[in-house]
Amino acid sequence: MSSESSKKRKPKVIRSDGAPAEGKRNRSDPEQEGKYYSEEAEVDLRDPGRDYELYKYTCQELQRLMAEIQDLKSRGGKDAAVEIEDRRILSCVHFMTLKKLNRLAHIRLKKGRDQTHEAKQKVDAYHLQLQNLLYEVMHLQKEITKCLEFKSKHEEIDLVSVEEFYQEAPPDISKAEITMGDPHQQTLARLDWELEQRKRLAEQYRESLSNKEKILKEIEVKKEYLSSLQPRLNSIMQASLPVQEYLFMPFDQAHKQYETARHLPPPLYVLFVQATAYGQACDKTLSVAIEGSVDEAKALFKPHEESQDDESDSDAEEEQTTKRRRPTLGVQLDDKRKEMLKRHPLSVMLDLKCKDDSVLHLTFYYLMNLNIMTVKARVTTATELITPISAGDLLSPDSVLSCLYPGDHGKKTPNPANQYQFDKVGILTLRDYVLDLGHPYLWVQKLGGLHFPKEQPQPTVIADHSLSSSHMETTMKLLKTRVQSRLALHKQFASLEHGIVPVTSDCHYLFPAKVVSRLVKWVTIAHEDYVELHFTKDIVEAGLAGDTNLYYMALVERGTAKLQAAVVLNPGYSSIPPIFQLCLNWKGEKTNSNDDNIRAMESEVNVCYKELCGPRPGHQLLTNQLQRLCVLLDVYLETEIHDDSVEGPKEFPQEKMCLRLFRGPSRMKPFKYNHPQGFFSHR
Amino acid sequence: MERAVPPTVPLGQMEVFQALQRLHMTIFSQCFSPCGKFLAAGNNYGQIAIFRHSLPSACSLSAALSSEAKEESKKPIVTFQAHDGPVYSMVSTDRHLFSAGDGEVKAWLWAEILKKGCKELWCRQPPYRTSLEVPEINALLLVPKENSLILAGGDCQLHTMDLETGTFTRALRGHTDYIHCLALRDRNPEVLSGGEDGTVRLWDLRMAKEVQTIEVYKHEECSRPHNGRWIGCLATDSDWMVCGGGPALTLWHLRSSTPTTIFPMWAPQKHVTFYQDLILSAGQGPCVNQWQLSGELKAQVPGSSPGLLSLSLNQQPAAPECKVLTAAGNSCRVDVFTNLGYRAFSLSF
Repeated sequence: MSSESSKKRKPKVIRSDGAPAEGKRNRSDPEQEGKYYSEEAEVDLRDPGRDYELYKYTCQELQRLMAEIQDLKSRGGKDAAVEIEDRRILSCVHFMTLKKLNRLAHIRLKKGRDQTHEAKQKVDAYHLQLQNLLYEVMHLQKEITKCLEFKSKHEEIDLVSVEEFYQEAPPDISKAEITMGDPHQQTLARLDWELEQRKRLAEQYRESLSNKEKILKEIEVKKEYLSSLQPRLNSIMQASLPVQEYLFMPFDQAHKQYETARHLPPPLYVLFVQATAYGQACDKTLSVAIEGSVDEAKALFKPHEESQDDESDSDAEEEQTTKRRRPTLGVQLDDKRKEMLKRHPLSVMLDLKCKDDSVLHLTFYYLMNLNIMTVKARVTTATELITPISAGDLLSPDSVLSCLYPGDHGKKTPNPANQYQFDKVGILTLRDYVLDLGHPYLWVQKLGGLHFPKEQPQPTVIADHSLSSSHMETTMKLLKTRVQSRLALHKQFASLEHGIVPVTSDCHYLFPAKVVSRLVKWVTIAHEDYVELHFTKDIVEAGLAGDTNLYYMALVERGTAKLQAAVVLNPGYSSIPPIFQLCLNWKGEKTNSNDDNIRAMESEVNVCYKELCGPRPGHQLLTNQLQRLCVLLDVYLETEIHDDSVEGPKEFPQEKMCLRLFRGPSRMKPFKYNHPQGFFSHR
Repeated sequence: MERAVPPTVPLGQMEVFQALQRLHMTIFSQCFSPCGKFLAAGNNYGQIAIFRHSLPSACSLSAALSSEAKEESKKPIVTFQAHDGPVYSMVSTDRHLFSAGDGEVKAWLWAEILKKGCKELWCRQPPYRTSLEVPEINALLLVPKENSLILAGGDCQLHTMDLETGTFTRALRGHTDYIHCLALRDRNPEVLSGGEDGTVRLWDLRMAKEVQTIEVYKHEECSRPHNGRWIGCLATDSDWMVCGGGPALTLWHLRSSTPTTIFPMWAPQKHVTFYQDLILSAGQGPCVNQWQLSGELKAQVPGSSPGLLSLSLNQQPAAPECKVLTAAGNSCRVDVFTNLGYRAFSLSF
């Protein structure tokens, strides 16, 4: 190295000797190395390591020269200037070298950059290629998995297990030697076997079908034979009828009724059976019959398919009619209401005969869509009755059975589910329809075995025999007493309207022989009018004036005294007593609020009514109460203290025998009549 | 009326009968228990009901109002059949309750009653002259000084019964018709009685004889012939006496036996009592009347009954917080007034 560097250094030294030498050499270089000088080419020739050495050396030289120059300058001397000049020249040469080296370095750097760029482009191209290939690989892999996941249809077919297959399949299908090792072949073989077997089964199925056909034909033939028997049997029955009649055996009629009963809806059937049974066992006066068209009932009970047909037919008809008539919404609603309130075509008639030959006719209906029963009542009497005006409501079909049991007024549907049905077709209450349909009393439902639990929107309603039978006896007895008490009232009203209070001979002991006060008026009044009266407030407030009661006004007179009595007649008369409220017009208006004795008179008739009932069943109660009222008025007027300051005789001289006139803090009058002695005392 | 019209409920035979009985009930007598917390009331069916008339926890106005909300507290805690006929009069000692009705007086132990054991302690009948009708006992009066009970009523006599022995010691005769009411003068051992014959008689118990007779109906100022002569109520305070009935309610000075004040009330009065410087009276009509001694009507407080027969003031020192006025009459309700201004609530049979 050192030798080479020294060689290089030499020419430089030479060159540094003088500029002309340099110039010569510059000119001579192209001649030596070719046609032109290119520093770039030179770069390739030179070794960068040597250039580095040269650079180091040049720098050292420069340092040294600078140091020498400094040294010379500091020493100062004459020859110093020359010496310095030499050194300066030498250092210039070195600077030139440095410049050269700098240029070379720049060129090398540029070359290096170019090379790097080239290489980078190549790498990029390769990278792109690699990515393409990877993508292709991925795609192919996907395809492969797709293929692998493909489901063949044969997998869904249930095949016999492999062992069974090898046992049962013939060897020409199983080909054990091939298929044992190869699952693909094995599956194919198994599929073949399956096909074979299915073909066989299809064959078998066809055979069975033809067999069935054959048997059906046989059955048909036998049925025909059986139906041909029916007319023959009928003719035998017909022939036997005269014999039955001759022997008084009404099997046939009873049989016919039972036959009809089969078409009754369940509740009516329960009622029919129970009423018949009760009539036979306990009460010979009860007769039961079925009314209505059996054919219509049969039509209702046809098998399901036909009824469905019917429905579709009717639907079609409806469509047609709508097309034809285009009825308004109201008409449609009307139709729907009618449909909802439809009765079963059959009804059960119960005739209840009372002792005096009056008959209560009850007709029970079943409302199919509402699942409730209704009843219509009619009373016929043995002798024609003259109907008094005030007795108008007593035997009317609308009210004769009202409140047979407390609160059972029969104007509301007992089935809670009905309210929802009504809402749909816009019926507010059943009340508006009861005149037409009959009353749905609770006892009617019970007789039909229908039990409706209260406060439960959708109860299960089943016709129940035990429910019906448990109510039959009490209800029949109640019905009889009701009719009898109504008939008794009916008769009594007739004479009451003529101002006569009929007192039967067995009740005479309750009253004195001489009664001066007279009943002059007996009229029926409306519930609203009763409520309006000023002296009935207490009764209304006590909740005793419901709208199911009947209301009457009686007027009792003696001289100038007029006693008004407003009467509430409970439908449960005579077990529930009539209630009287009094207002006396005599020397001012007196009611229970301003006169204690009027109050006492009211309690005499209202609270102490039990002694007035007379002989059982107590149908004389109302007339006895009225007669008692007349007596009470007599006592009241005769015992009234005479005002000494008023001139003239007493209007009502005391004729009744009384022990004392007044008693107790509220100065009660002696209202109680003591029978055999005939005097009045205090209660 | 303040009650709304109830919905008409279906009524059976028993319910109708009970409703009618309640409608025609009259409460003739009332009496507070010695502890002051309970009220006994007797009606025309011979029943006695015991009410807790105010809640024991607090008897303030608010408690009374809150008890109005509770229906249960207005019902009697126990009801028992005491007599066959009406219970016209009741008085109470420290331990006993005496009730009187048709011809007999019965004693009950308060302790037993409150334990709901309703067996009478004893039953006595005053010596009556035989008669077709058993005379009723309209008034009972306790005379604490001689530990005796005075009974008066239908037989026009005052019977004195010694509570120690249970025997009837004397009978005071003089009235010509039956006796409505009795009153005791606090200082002198003297008893006042008023009756149907229109007289008020003053009796000296020691001498057992009548000392004074006032024929009220004969005084023009207070006589009202159209209402009758009867004296229905009587109360006394030292030298003063107030009485009413057929004649107008009148304040009398006893020593001079002259009417001093006539209270302008048209309706006959059935009960009168002194209360502080007021006179309380009740009778026909739903109101409790409060009078100044000068004759001015201070207030008329309406109750719930159409007519009143008795007033009762709870002045038991044992229960100062339960100071109430109760009024009962021609209904099954006993009105309770916690102050004199208005009706707080009603107890009901």
